[in-house]
Amino acid sequence: MDHRQEDQFEYQLKSALHRQEPPNGFTVRVLARLEPARPEPWPQPWLHLPSLRWALACALGIAVFAGGWMFQQERRRAEGEAARQQVMLALRITGAKMQLAEARVRHLSER
Amino acid sequence: MALSTTAEGPTRTSDFAELVEAHQAMVFSLAYHFLHDRTAAEEIAQDVFLELHLHLNELESSEHRISWLRRVALNRCIDEGRRRKRHREAQIEELPEPIAPAAKVDQWTHERLRRLVASLPEHMRMVIVLRYQEDLDPEDIAAALHIPVNTVKSQLQRALQMLREKAGAVKRT
Repeated sequence: MDHRQEDQFEYQLKSALHRQEPPNGFTVRVLARLEPARPEPWPQPWLHLPSLRWALACALGIAVFAGGWMFQQERRRAEGEAARQQVMLALRITGAKMQLAEARVRHLSER
Repeated sequence: MALSTTAEGPTRTSDFAELVEAHQAMVFSLAYHFLHDRTAAEEIAQDVFLELHLHLNELESSEHRISWLRRVALNRCIDEGRRRKRHREAQIEELPEPIAPAAKVDQWTHERLRRLVASLPEHMRMVIVLRYQEDLDPEDIAAALHIPVNTVKSQLQRALQMLREKAGAVKRT
């Protein structure tokens, strides 16, 4: 094989191995694979409004404060009721003792 | 517009799309000429560009990007070729004889040559594709493949000799 034939062969090889474009839409397919998995959208988009978020935060704060206050009131009422019951019991015991003493005095004076 | 972050700052998707379009023919053709399979070539090319996106901040210049793309594409082709372990020479006989006008004869000749290239041992295939597709000098091929220039030259000579012999054998049959 002479040089001319060699050149011809290499020319054919170069021609056969010329760059080829990939199938249509290649870039789009690459970019589609590049897209990260998007996060799920916020379920209540209206919560994105700043004023609404502030209003919700205030309402939550008030509810917590009112709940705490009512709990304190209920505890105080229960404590008061327990104290009243104790006083009543003490008065009842005192009354019974007084009746017993009176009966003894009466019995001694009749003798 | 989707954004991604690199060391130099955010890279717009449109910028990356331009990068893909600029180099897609090179990457796709490297894979196609290596594997002789358009579907596999597209898959490999897509993977290479996805990997490029991950390493964009490490690649400073356009030349650096091109040599990186060539190297990664060829490495992936080698992996794919080894995974498949296909016997490419067997496909040569499947080609029909040319009975068409000159343009179709050229097309047939080119297809036959591409199949012969795809049947070469992988290192010879790499140097042939880089030499005749990418038009690289032996020095550039040696730099791209990290092998001595003399090795590139000898592989080129041996590959051309094998191709000529195979082409002659096909022509004779």
